[in-house]
Amino acid sequence: MNAVPSADVSGASGTSRVGEPADVEDQPVGPPPPFDSELAAGLEVIVKQLPTAFRLEDLPALREGAGVSRPSDEDLRQDGAFDIEERTVPGPAGEADISLLICRPAEVSADTPLPALYNIHGGGMILGDNRTGLETMLYRARELRLVVVSVEYRLAPEHPHPAPVEDAYAGLVWTAGHAAELGIDPDRIVVAGGSAGGGLAAAVALLARDRGGPALAGQMLLCPMLDDRNDTPSSRQMAGLGVWDRAANHMGWTALLGERRGGPDVSPYAAPARATDLSGLPPAFIDVGSAETFRDEDVAYAVRLWQAGGQAELHVWPGGFHGFEGLVPQAAISQDARNAQGLWLRRLLGV
Amino acid sequence: MKELAGKLAALDPDAGAALRVIAYFDRLVEGRASLEALVRGAAVLSGCPARLVDEERGVRVRVTADGVRTDRRDGAGPVDPAWMAAPLAPGGAPALWLERPGPPGGVHAMVLERASAAAREVLDRTRGRAPAGERGADPASVEVLLDRSAPEPARRRAARLLGLRTTGTARAVAPAGAALLVEAVPVPGGRAAAAEGPRAGIGPAVPVLDLPESAVAARTALRFTAEGTDRDPGPRTVYADELGGLAPLAETVGPGTEPIPDVRALERAVASAPWAARTLHSFAFAMSLRTAAAELTLHHSTLQGRLTQAERWLGWPVHDPRGRLRLQLALTLWRLHRTHGL
Repeated sequence: MNAVPSADVSGASGTSRVGEPADVEDQPVGPPPPFDSELAAGLEVIVKQLPTAFRLEDLPALREGAGVSRPSDEDLRQDGAFDIEERTVPGPAGEADISLLICRPAEVSADTPLPALYNIHGGGMILGDNRTGLETMLYRARELRLVVVSVEYRLAPEHPHPAPVEDAYAGLVWTAGHAAELGIDPDRIVVAGGSAGGGLAAAVALLARDRGGPALAGQMLLCPMLDDRNDTPSSRQMAGLGVWDRAANHMGWTALLGERRGGPDVSPYAAPARATDLSGLPPAFIDVGSAETFRDEDVAYAVRLWQAGGQAELHVWPGGFHGFEGLVPQAAISQDARNAQGLWLRRLLGV
Repeated sequence: MKELAGKLAALDPDAGAALRVIAYFDRLVEGRASLEALVRGAAVLSGCPARLVDEERGVRVRVTADGVRTDRRDGAGPVDPAWMAAPLAPGGAPALWLERPGPPGGVHAMVLERASAAAREVLDRTRGRAPAGERGADPASVEVLLDRSAPEPARRRAARLLGLRTTGTARAVAPAGAALLVEAVPVPGGRAAAAEGPRAGIGPAVPVLDLPESAVAARTALRFTAEGTDRDPGPRTVYADELGGLAPLAETVGPGTEPIPDVRALERAVASAPWAARTLHSFAFAMSLRTAAAELTLHHSTLQGRLTQAERWLGWPVHDPRGRLRLQLALTLWRLHRTHGL
C-alpha cells in the first residue's frame, strides 16, 4: 500500500516540469487517503468486473469488455421523456463527418429554447462512445429540462491528438451554429464530461476561447483527466489502488500523445494542465475524489482558474476513488456529489 | 475509467454472490460505516427497499434500492409480515426487513444475515448492548442531555445514545462520588440504578428533555442519604419525590451554615456513646419503641434506658410526638451539614 511507482511507469521518471527540480519523483508522499467506507465496500463488489491491468495490446478486449455499458435508444428515451436523434454533421476541416446524439426533453416544444449540456464521454481517450455514461447525464437533464448533445469522437491510439479534441470542438461549433434549429439557447451551452471527457471539455473551452468560437455558459469537469505528466503526488500516492491508477493513466496519455507524452511540447488542447493562460474561460465546476490519481491536477486547475481571475467551484470528495459517483451511485457521498453538480447547473443556468 | 465497469447493482444469485455479500459488509464494518450505510447496502445488493427498526434504541432507518433514505421525509410505513426479516440477536424480534416476500435462501437471505450481523456490531459499538448494560452512563451524553442551554437536537441525540426514547419519561440518579446517570422510567427490567453500589439520590420521573430538573432534585436527595452504618445511620437511597417538606431544608442548611442548638446537642450525644446515633435514628423513625428495639436487637427496657440517657444529652424529651419531630429534624439537619461524598 505504499506509493512507490510501479514498474510500468518507470519511463516517466525521466520527465520533469520546466522550473521544477528533476527529482519530483523522489518527493515523499504519505500513505493513500482511506476510501470512504461505503465506496470501499462497493469497490469490493465491482472490482471483479474491472480490468486488472491496462496495456495497449489488451485494448481490443477492453473495448469488447462485458463491463462496458451501452444504453439502447429505449434506455435513453427514459419512458418517452426524451426525443432521441442521431445527426451526422461536418467534422474538423478536411476530416470525416462526426455523429451527434441529440436528446431533447419531449414535453418541451422545440420552439422553446432550452439550455444544453454538450457531453463529451469518458474512457481514457481510448474507450467508449457517445452513449457511454449518458444515462446519468440524462437523469440530470430531465430534472433540469436541458437538451443533451453527445459527441462521437475518434479514439486514440488509432487517432492520436488532435483527432479527439478537434472532433469534439467541431461538434460544439455545429451545435452552437444550429442552436435555433435544435431548440437550444445558444447563450446557455455548458460543455460537460467526466474523466477523459472532462479533460476534453476543458480543452474545448480553451479552443473556443482561442479561436473565438461559441461563447460557453460553463464547463463542467467531472474528475477530469488534465495532465499528461502523470507525476503529481496523488498519482504516485494512489499507484496500484482504486480505479484508473497511474499505470492506466500512463497508457491513456501514451495512446493519445505517443512519444510526446510528458515531454516539453505537449499542446494545452491535449492536456489542459499545460495551458499557461487560464484567463477568459467560462465558469467551471470541478469535482474529484481525494483518493484518486487526478486529485492534485484537478485541484491545481481550479486554483489556477481563480488565480487567473476566473470563476470555479471545486469539490474534493473525501475518500472518493475515480468515478465513484458513477460506479457506486447509491452511496451517500455519491448522492451528495450528484446534488452538488445539479445545484451548480441550477445556479449557473437559472433553471 | 468508470466506463470500464458495471456499476454497483443488485446481485444475481451466481456462485460469487455470497462472497461479494460477505466482502461488502465486512468492508463496511471495517470502515466503521453508519447504520444507514448498512441498511443501504442491504437495499442496493438485494434490489429492494430495506429498513432497520429498533424501538428500544431509537433506531429507524429505511433506504430504497437506489440508496435514498426515506424515513426522515415520509416515515417508514407499516411492516408487511410477508417480508423477509431478521432479528438483531438470535431469537430476538425481527429488526431488519427486506421489503419483499421470500423465498428463503439465496442472495437475499445472505444479505439479510450479513447486514443484521453488521448492524448488531455497529449498534453494540455506538449505542451499547441491548438490553441496558451501561446505558445511561456515558458521561458526555449525560452532560449534553442535562444541559438546558445545549441545542435541542443535540440533547435529543444524546438521549437516544443513552437509550432513552425522547417521547418517554426518565429520571436522573446522583450517586455519591460519581457522575450523574439517567435511566428510563419505568426502569427496563425493573432494576433501579442505585440498588447496589454507592449512596444515591434519585430524581423524579420527568419527560426526557426535562431531565435537568430531575438532576437537581437527585443531587438534593443525595444529601439526605447516609451510609447506613452505626455511626452514620439512615437510608442509602433517597427518592426526591418522597422528601416532602424536608426538601426546602436543603436549600438553607449546608456544610457552611451554623447548626441550630438541637444539632449541636445531637452532635454531643453522638460523641458521648458509640450507640447513640444508631439508637436515636431507629427510635425516631420506627413505628414504636418495640419495633425500634427489635430492629436494634435490644430488649425494650434496655432501649428505654438508653433513651433516658440520651434525653439528658439532648436536653428535650423524645417520647412525645413534638419531641420525636424535633429529633427527626435534628437527625436530618445533621446529615445536611456534612460534606462527605457529595
